[in-house]
Amino acid sequence: MAEDHREPLAGAGALRETLRALLPHTKEELVPELGEKVERSVVRLLWEAAELFCGGCWRECLQASEAILDYSWEKLNTGPWQDVHKDWRRVYAFGCLLKAVCLFEEPGDAPAVAAALKACDMGLLMGAAIHGDILIKVAAVLQAHLPSGKRPGPGPAQEQPSMKKAREDPVSVPDVALERPVPRLRCPSLQHFRKQFLVPGRPVILEGVADQWPCMTKWSLEYIQDIAGCRTVPVEVGSRYTDEDWSQTLMTVNEFISRYIRSESRDVGYLAQHQLFDQIPELKQDIGIPDYCCLGDGEEEEITINAWFGPQGTVSPLHQDPQQNFLVQVLGRKYIRLYSPQESEALYAHETHLLHNTSQVGARGPRVTLQILPPIPGDQAGDRSGFLQVDVENPDLEKFPKFAEAPFLSCVLSPGEILFIPVQYWHYVRALDLSFSVSFWWS
Amino acid sequence: MAEERRGSWFGFGFCGFGQALGSGRGRQVHSPEPLRTPGAGADVRRVSASWSYTAVVTRGGQVQLSGAAGGAAGGCRDAWASEALLVVLRAGPELQAWAPACALRGEPLWTHTLVPEAEGADGAGAEAQAAALPLLPGARAYVSPRPPFYRPLAPELRARRLELGAEHALLLDEAGQVFSWGQGRHGQLGHGTLEAEPEPRLLEALQGLPMAEVAAGGWHSVCVSETGDIYIWGWNESGQLALPTRSLAEDGKTVAREGTGELYTWGWGKYGQLGHKDTTSLDRPRRVEYFVDKQLQVRAVSCGLWNTYVCAVERGES
Repeated sequence: MAEDHREPLAGAGALRETLRALLPHTKEELVPELGEKVERSVVRLLWEAAELFCGGCWRECLQASEAILDYSWEKLNTGPWQDVHKDWRRVYAFGCLLKAVCLFEEPGDAPAVAAALKACDMGLLMGAAIHGDILIKVAAVLQAHLPSGKRPGPGPAQEQPSMKKAREDPVSVPDVALERPVPRLRCPSLQHFRKQFLVPGRPVILEGVADQWPCMTKWSLEYIQDIAGCRTVPVEVGSRYTDEDWSQTLMTVNEFISRYIRSESRDVGYLAQHQLFDQIPELKQDIGIPDYCCLGDGEEEEITINAWFGPQGTVSPLHQDPQQNFLVQVLGRKYIRLYSPQESEALYAHETHLLHNTSQVGARGPRVTLQILPPIPGDQAGDRSGFLQVDVENPDLEKFPKFAEAPFLSCVLSPGEILFIPVQYWHYVRALDLSFSVSFWWS
Repeated sequence: MAEERRGSWFGFGFCGFGQALGSGRGRQVHSPEPLRTPGAGADVRRVSASWSYTAVVTRGGQVQLSGAAGGAAGGCRDAWASEALLVVLRAGPELQAWAPACALRGEPLWTHTLVPEAEGADGAGAEAQAAALPLLPGARAYVSPRPPFYRPLAPELRARRLELGAEHALLLDEAGQVFSWGQGRHGQLGHGTLEAEPEPRLLEALQGLPMAEVAAGGWHSVCVSETGDIYIWGWNESGQLALPTRSLAEDGKTVAREGTGELYTWGWGKYGQLGHKDTTSLDRPRRVEYFVDKQLQVRAVSCGLWNTYVCAVERGES
């Protein structure tokens, strides 16, 4: 992108019309409903910003929206994430909305539109929905009008995406033939699945269920960059999230692919546990929802769909989830080990801690799951330093002798296959290739 | 909190609500400007700045508000400004908490009469050594912007100074020991973990090093030893800890320190609160040249959320 041209984008006129049609027109409609938690001074600033917005004073409105963003961001970082009042997240989303539209209006050139899109994504990641998910719609409009290639990226040495593939190292593929396999079924009936697997809580691989989903043929690195390249997502950096130097950060999908998938990175980067399909509805069109979810109690809207996208070598240490899980494999293969909840003692699980994720950057909520972590003296939940951990594929049997006897099931999950992980079933996952999985958490 | 010293006051940083801060041009002031208080110039003894308004206490006992909250009242010894509450210490002595928006008219939200003999129990009068809000006179309790507003302190703590961050508290006692409590997820408590502490806990890492001052940013803590060394810990989001950061992202808190009358600032600078005529954030201390250029010696500093107030005297004055 030539930064010296401050030119409006081609088609900016049509884009402006589309955007304006999306937005409320009066400041009364624009300012979201808020409760008492939000201080009067903030509310005053919101009205001021809305008035500037409706008056077309883009630069002044941008200044006001920055102050709104900065102040509400501080509120979002005060106290545990689950205690942050939703109104502060609405205020934050509102600030992002104003910022995005102001940047688009002025200066309106390509870098500004990229920044506007980033503002939408920040509002989606950290904020709460306002005006009927308006940020998703605004983001879609902005994205559709970024210059073709959708890569306002830096550097003259732009990689040719079609030429440069993901790096592949020789990987240790466990010999699953020596281990007890997860049973496989081809398109079982709802009844059969419920009776034999859901109710008794037994894992199974479902074949022939998801293999016709569009994602199975459509998705590739190029396609993902095309649809989502300039969108900002949370990325976990570090070998595994029980490590001391594990952290979360935000970057665009393009940056993630370039830094952690295409190139030789010392660190492992993992786009993990992110509701990408809420953020980018276009991608949601490529996936389905396993019919078996209807056997649960919840509504379809309550199903949490997460994307798991990363290079070869990402590891999710042994953990449990509080809901039923369908793990759908789209790209690449994953080695997965499963231990029954009845084995919790052999996994030293009765001495577990809750792992607190102190970073809230990009998280919809902290990644809190029970860990196999025997306590050490003076250890306290939340302090990740010095945690002992059973390394599933290389256990320290002196420290964890019972672990050797714990029975387990294992598999290599390949594209098109769905693994049913019953609620509270311990699972360990390692990516054998560049991998993209989609998980469905349901009850 | 700023202490009472004679001198002139200056301000820089965010003034988007029209709070008294120099010229207040364009919602932000990037370089120190003389403070213009609502009542003519005068005799500012103390400045307490919240995000959207500033409270100024004059030597004559007037508290004056500017910004999103306005109004003035007399008979005040001290004031402490937060978004939720304006706390005023009046003659009596009586502690009053007001909703900032009501401009000190009508009734306060609550009041608390302090025991007169409790103050000055150690012989300290209303001098510069007296406890400053949020620490109450007599150091038996402190005031919080969140309920419960009145919070007792164990008497054995012998608090000299107390500072509040966004979700933690720091206490300096008569012996120069530092205590901290509250949330600890960003390391702001300094006990080597990320755990919260419900009660004041002694900072063991600083034992044997008597401290002279403490201050708290949003999520970081600072103290200065009697020998002039600075210790900082907590969230280094924008370089507040004066340690190299990987990237100077947004947000953080300004920290200002006095040298030999020289002012150094570092941390988050987006609203000009560092006073270096720009809006860049810094991860190492930089001297605010304005005061050197004007031959001014800095005597006191008070940090608001996104702005800074400084009291300075001309060099040569005692």
